[in-house]
This record gives sequence, C-alpha cells and structure tokens, in this order.
Amino acid sequence: MTMVVPPPKTVKVEALEKPPITLPPSLISWLQAAPLTIILGAFLALPILMITVVSFWDYDFAQMYPDFVTFNYAETLGSWVTWKTYLNTLKFTFLVWSITLFIGFWVAYFLAFHIRTSAMQTVLFLVCTVPFLTSNIIRMISWIPVLGRNGLVNSALIETGIIAAPIEWLLYSDFAVVLAMVHLYTLFMVTPIFNTMMRIDRSLIEAARDAGASGLQILTNVIIPLSKPGMAIGSIFVVTLVMADFSTVQVMSGGQSASVALMMKNQMSLLQYPAAAANAVVLLVLVLLMVAGILRIVDIRKEL
Amino acid sequence: MSGEKRPKEFYILAALFALFVLFLYGPLSAILILAFQGPNGGLTFPLNGVSLHWFFNLFEQQAVGDFGGSFRRSFALGLMVMAVTVFVSLTAGLAFRRKFPGATPLFYLTVASLVVPSIIISLGIGVGFSQSGLQPAWYSSAFGAHLTWTLPFGVLIMFAVFNRFSPAYEEAARDLGATSWQTFRHVVLPMILPSLVGVGLFGFTLSYDEFARTLMTSGTYNTLPLELYGMTTNVTTPVLYALGAVTTFFSFIVIAGTIGIIATLNRRRARG
Amino acid sequence: MTETTKGGLTRRSLLKTGAAAAGLAAGSGAITGFPTIWAQTKITLRQFGTGVSNINAVAEKCKADLGITLEMTATDSDAAAQRAVTQPNSYDIADIEYWILKKVFATGVIQPMDTKKLKYYDKIVPLFKNGKLTPDSVIAQGTAPHTVGFVEKPGDKKFAKEETQWFTMVPTIYNADTLGIRPDLVGREITTWADILDPAFKGKTSILNIPSIGIMDAAMIMEASGKIKYADKGNMTKEEIDKTIDFLIEVKKAGQFRAFWKSFDESVNLMASGEVVIQSMWSPAVAAVRSKGIACKYQPLKEGYRSWGGGLGLASHLKGAELDAAYEYINWYTSGWVGAYLNRQGYYSACMDTAKEFMTADEWGYWIEGKPAQGDIMSPEGKVMEKAGAVRDGGSFVERMGKVACWNSVMDEDRYMVRRWNEFIAA
Repeated sequence: MTMVVPPPKTVKVEALEKPPITLPPSLISWLQAAPLTIILGAFLALPILMITVVSFWDYDFAQMYPDFVTFNYAETLGSWVTWKTYLNTLKFTFLVWSITLFIGFWVAYFLAFHIRTSAMQTVLFLVCTVPFLTSNIIRMISWIPVLGRNGLVNSALIETGIIAAPIEWLLYSDFAVVLAMVHLYTLFMVTPIFNTMMRIDRSLIEAARDAGASGLQILTNVIIPLSKPGMAIGSIFVVTLVMADFSTVQVMSGGQSASVALMMKNQMSLLQYPAAAANAVVLLVLVLLMVAGILRIVDIRKEL
Repeated sequence: MSGEKRPKEFYILAALFALFVLFLYGPLSAILILAFQGPNGGLTFPLNGVSLHWFFNLFEQQAVGDFGGSFRRSFALGLMVMAVTVFVSLTAGLAFRRKFPGATPLFYLTVASLVVPSIIISLGIGVGFSQSGLQPAWYSSAFGAHLTWTLPFGVLIMFAVFNRFSPAYEEAARDLGATSWQTFRHVVLPMILPSLVGVGLFGFTLSYDEFARTLMTSGTYNTLPLELYGMTTNVTTPVLYALGAVTTFFSFIVIAGTIGIIATLNRRRARG
Repeated sequence: MTETTKGGLTRRSLLKTGAAAAGLAAGSGAITGFPTIWAQTKITLRQFGTGVSNINAVAEKCKADLGITLEMTATDSDAAAQRAVTQPNSYDIADIEYWILKKVFATGVIQPMDTKKLKYYDKIVPLFKNGKLTPDSVIAQGTAPHTVGFVEKPGDKKFAKEETQWFTMVPTIYNADTLGIRPDLVGREITTWADILDPAFKGKTSILNIPSIGIMDAAMIMEASGKIKYADKGNMTKEEIDKTIDFLIEVKKAGQFRAFWKSFDESVNLMASGEVVIQSMWSPAVAAVRSKGIACKYQPLKEGYRSWGGGLGLASHLKGAELDAAYEYINWYTSGWVGAYLNRQGYYSACMDTAKEFMTADEWGYWIEGKPAQGDIMSPEGKVMEKAGAVRDGGSFVERMGKVACWNSVMDEDRYMVRRWNEFIAA
C-alpha cells in the first residue's frame, strides 16, 4: 500500500482526453469516499448489526442459538445492578470529564496564549504528548508503586512526618481509578482545545482589550465561546473512553468497583455472549445519546 | 486579573502546567527507577538492589511470551494501519470538499466510529468472524478493528485541514493550464503533506497501543499490548518496566523523527 | 537440570531414521502407507493458553527433540476461554483449565484423544481418571477433572460417567490452592479459611476476582466460618449463591478486603508490597514473593485446598499429519522432561513417574515427597529458590493433592452466579 495514491487519477485522465465529458462531481466524491465507507461498513456497521442480532439470541451453558428472545434485555434492564453500575460509570465519567476539562482548558490556554514563540509551544506540547505514547497498560500499572501502602507518596509523607500511618485510599479505590483515568485521557482534552485556541484570531482579543475589556471578560466573552468546539471534541473523546473502560477500573480499584464494560467482560469471560451483547447495545445507545447531546450544543462539523 | 496583572496570571498558569507535567511524568519516573533494580527486584517499592539486569533481560528469551515477535507484529500492523489511514483519510477529505448525497450519514458514521466503545467493536467483529467461519488474524480482523479507531481521527483532521484550505491556489494552477492531477500533485499535496504526516503518526501510535479492539480479533498471534497483558499473568519482574522505559524512549525517537520530517517539509515548501 | 534422557534420545534418533526413510521413500517415488508425519519436514503446532504453562523452554526442547515447531501464545485466562470457543481455527492445541473445559468442550471445538495412542496414559495420575489420588481418597466437590475427562465416543458433547477410551484433555499442570500469608505481618497462627475474616486483618485481605473461582474462595471461607453447609460447593443452588454473595457483599462493605486479584502478578504484588497479608494464592506466586527475599508462607488449612488443573486439548480441525504430530507432542509432553520442569515450578504434572526420572533425588524429595532439601533447590531458570534444609509448605504431593476440598468449577446456575457476582463487585 503506497502512502499517497490519489484515486481521482483515472477519472482525471479520462477527463483530460475528452474534456467535454467529465464525471459528475457527486460520482467523483462517491469514489473518493468509497474506501472510508467500505471500511466503516465492514468493520463498524456490520459488527454492530451482528451484536444487535446476537443480543436477541438464546444461549445456554455453552452455545448460542439464533432466536428472537428479549430476556437478555429484561435481565439487563430489570436488575438493580445494571442501574447501579451505570450510575457508577456515569459518576466516573462525570468526574474524569470535569477534571480533564479543567486541566485541559488551562493547559491549552497557557500554551496558546502565554507562550510567545511557536517553537516553545511545540516543545511544551510535545512534552505533554510523550507519556501518551507509552503503552496504556504500563502507564496504568506504573501508578501502583506510587500510590501503594509502601509506595512513593506514602513513604514520602511518613518520612516527612506529615502522616503517621499510610493513607489507604490512595490505591484500590475510586480515587485511584479517577486519577489513573485522568492521567490516561487528559491529552484527548488538551489537544483539541489547544488546536481550537490556536485558531482564534488574535486581533479579536486585541479588539476586546482596546474596547476596555478586562482579562476575565476577554476570557469569558471571547476565548471560552470560541474554544467551545475544541472542548466539545475533547469531551466526546473523554466521555466515550471512560464509558467504555474496563481495564483501568479493574486494576486501579483492585476489582472493588464496577463499570459497564467490566460487567460485559465478566459475562464474556463465561461465554455468555448474548447477555454481553444486550449490555453492549444498551451502552451503545447511551453513549450515542450523550454524544448527540454534545453535538447538539456545539456543531463540530461547522467548527472544524 | 486585568491586563496589567498578566505576569501573575502567567505564573499561576505556569505553576499549574508544571504540576501537570509532574503528574504526567511522576509515575513514569517511578517505573524508570524500578526498572533499574537488581536481579531480585519486584514490581513495587521498596527497591531491591540496583543494576541494568532487566534491560539486558529484556532482549533475552523470556520464560513465557515473545516480546520480539509481538513487537514485530504490532509494528507491521501499525505501519499498515498508518498507510491505509493516510490514504483513506486523504480521499475522504477530498470527497467532503464537495457536497454529495450521503455526505451527512457518512460523516455521522465516522463520528460513530469514534464513539462506539472499543470492546463492542471487538466483540462484534469477533462474533461476526466466528459466525461466518472466517479466520480472524491480526492482519485481517484486528487490522479492520484498528482502522475503525484511527480513521475517524484521520478523517476529522483532514476535514479540518481542507476546511481552511483556500481554493485560490488550485484555481490559479488551473488557470495556468494544469490538469487536476497536476494541481493535486504539485499544489495541494505539498501544502497538506505535514498534516498527512501527522495523520500517519496518529494512525501508527493509536494502532500500536490498541488493546481492547485487538482483544477478540487478533487470531492466533498476539500483538504487543495483548502480549503485555498476557505476560502480567506470569511475569513479576521489573522487565515489564524496562520494556516501558524502552518503549517510551522509542516513542521519543518516533516523535523526534516525525517533527524532523515535518520541519523539513515546511522548510522545503517555504523555499520552493 | 538433568539431561540424562534415554527415552528422549532414542525417540529423537527414531525420528531421524524415520525422516531418512521417508526421504528415501519419497525419492524412490513410493510414498504409500507411510505415516505422514515422518514425511513432513516442517510441522508447526500452534498452542495457546495462560502464561502459567506456555513456557518457551518447552517449545525449544520440543523443537530439539521432535523437530516440531511449537508456537506458543500466552493470554490471560478469560481470553484463553474466549479464544478457545470463538476462534477455533486459530490454534491446534488448547491449553485450558478443566472448569472452563466443561463449557468449551460442549461447543465442539475440541476433539477427544484416543487413549490407545497415548503412550503414557497408564502413568497419568488417577486423580484425572476417577477422581481419586489414592484408592481410598474422597472425591472432591466441584468440576473435578475426571468428571469432564471422558466422552463415550468422538463427536459426543456429553461427558461420560466413567473412564472410557476417549480422553478429553491430557493434564498439564494442577495444584492445590490455599491461603498465602506474610508470617512476619499476620502475627498469629493461621489454621482455617475463616481466618481471612479476622477483624485484625481488616483491609489487608484479598480473594480471586475471576467469578467462577472467586466464588469458590468465598465458599471455602463461608463454610469454614460455619455460616453455611453446601451440598456441593462446586454446584450451588440459587439460594446458596444468594447467601454466599450476600455474605461477600457484607464483608466487602465492612472493608475487610484490600483488593481482588485477577492475575498471577497482581497476587504477587499485593503480597510483596505489603498491601495484603493474607489472601488466596497460588503456590508459585508464594515462591515468587519469597524469591524477592520477603517472607511468605503457603499455609495449609484444616478445611483442605481449593484445587485447579489445566490440560492440553486437541482442536477439532486437526487431522492427518498434524493430528499425528499432536499425539507425538502429547506423548513427548508426558514423557518426563516437561513434567520435571513443571514440578520444579511448584506445580504438579500429569505423569509423576516419568517426571521423576528427570529430577534429582533431592528435587524429587523436596517438591514431591515433602522432605527437607539436602542442597539448594533451583528454579527451572537456574535461580536458587530455597536453601538446603527448607521443607515445602503443605508437605508432600499426596498430602496436598489428597486434601482437596473442591475443584474450581462451572455451576449449572452460572448465569445467575455471574449476575450476582457483578452485584458483588458493584456493591
């Protein structure tokens, strides 16, 4: 597969030979969009269809049987565990989202408006990026020696005499889960916000300042509204990543906390695929609704 | 926080930024320290001796698992995903420059691809392949699964690029008698090349590190993240951390290389 | 490491002669009726399973002895079960646990083995044939390997009631799990599973978080504390499941557990870092903690052990030369070298008699007979594991495997169990 093979080639050659007959523009667009459509159709639309179908199948001890039953949904939606787990997942989502939004906004703001040279901007941005290229699994488990009972934080605090006994809730707790998730996913918030901020016309800010606006006013009336698309895109990333997470919750809570995907994984581990599929459909609908909600507030397509 | 007090705001933000960087690098430095333990070291503090043992160990045969093979697979898969992501994102980006019937559904499908939880895609492709009797493998099913993750990034980036791409240059080229292909090759492509390199880097790293999507689609052989996960069932030595340190270093090189390429491209464009 | 392999050598030379003969036969254009395996110069078998037994050293030795290339893929135990069922063509040999075999075999992805073709079938520990280690042992509860060990005939998906000619899996490793403790930190005698509930250990205990196994841990604890008497821990009724989970939730809410572990390394880390002082644990995990210079004991308990085992199953798609090669591999696997290797890790292997020939008297005495070590005991990788004079926790093979209270299992009500387990985690 070569890197850059423009598909319009054949089309254009033809156009060259017989200038009057050109392909209709929409056909060209279709040809150009075809690879994307085919790949997403085969590996996104079909699998989701498959899951939806399987979620209505019957299953027993070992196998699933094509059927049309709804008890997978009845079991999923009818149990308080599902609701509680969703609530728990939403709690994680909300916490991680608000923290990453806060950090992401200020970091991006600092980089975009307080760093003067673009070389320095690039360097600092890359400093933020590098850890994200290390394997997620390794980055996650790297928190364990830091937060543990005899970990870096606890030993430092004890040695300096701030606390007498190790703090237990640093690891294997909801705190640890949120902390690790923020660590894993912040870049997905910083990047789009930084990107949007870089595109804000600096003369707008000058104009506002000339008009006598205070720094705070500039921030709330110019920068925040104009950064909204970036925040929206970042939010979409973070919300979907957290909603679908299982490994972070599993590892950092020490198995003591639940998430929707973890519930699915437990079912999958005992080969109960139809039940997991029903869960998947419910989760999918919820995530799509949340994203649709975000898209309603900010039309990212227009703002890209 | 008025205009005159700006330095104060700057220092607050700089402190926040420094904290953020510390937060990002803190745990990484912990594993870096732990990677230098002696031969009896474990995965947690307290330290157990100091040596380079585990870095050498990394390149030796492990009791279980195969770093080398899975790394090669992940690397190859990353390159494949990178190439296809660049190509497809480019053509899709070009397509979306015009309005065409079906554009909106396709756009939402792309966004959906981004937001559908990875474990669902993994399950769907896995079950789909097994129900239709196809053989899953890292270069087929996992390849497709990775593309559903990298393509939306690539397409959205190309979207943003073309949205701010002035058609004036192309019109000028066309007025000078260039064919569409020539216009594309000599005018459009050089201008978007840095973005394409960025898309490629994105595609590679996202694929290289993808775990959940590979979980049920990898077929016989493990990719690196799967191997790492499998190894945690048996490995209790700092070799995992040594690997983390080495991959971070590797990432540094990849980034530096990419920056170098982009800088060269920009310079050449500025000169040309 | 003992390299006095009479059996291995003869077999290897046999193989070479065979290959030469095949070459000759092929050269003269008369390839008829000759076993296909000999004619194959390059046979590759793909094996997957948990990291516990997918050891590269085995693949190397296999290549050297048999000329068969063994491609090993290590996964975690969840992924292993899923791969076995959903990607049946992605492997030739499945290395899975007996409890999940109950589900996996029923999907038809594994073919039973003809015991007549298994050279060392007679030597396989009787535990896997009739559930009794010695003739007067009591059969343990749960999915005991012999209950899923046989079928009446190939193609059957129902397990046979007793020993037949068709063996579903040849055991690889098995062991008896109990509580691991940090003797320096618990500060008292531990004698029963119920000790994990001691308020003194609040926030310093852990059990396994694989639903089917964790519930067995819980059952052992609950029965030991006298709260319930199960008819069969390995196959609870809905009521029993309810009681067990409610009990677990109560204990969890009281903050008794520090974490639940899912993989080998997690259990080692929990113990080594002092997060946990008493938890259910695997024997080699205890050894791994000890190898870091930290005191750790594999504590025998009066209620007995919770046991588990894994085995090699042949994929249904195997036939012809590959199937022959797979049998050859299995016969080699049980011929002693691998068994000795696995025994030295602290697990037990299928054919103890053959393994014995590949172990020194001291190793055999320490690992299997529960005698004090005469010299240093080395790990298979050649690291000193125990100094002279050490005695293995729990004693001999017979003492340990003879006191199994229950096996890891899949229950008839496993759908209900997983739902309730999810509740426990969510609570």
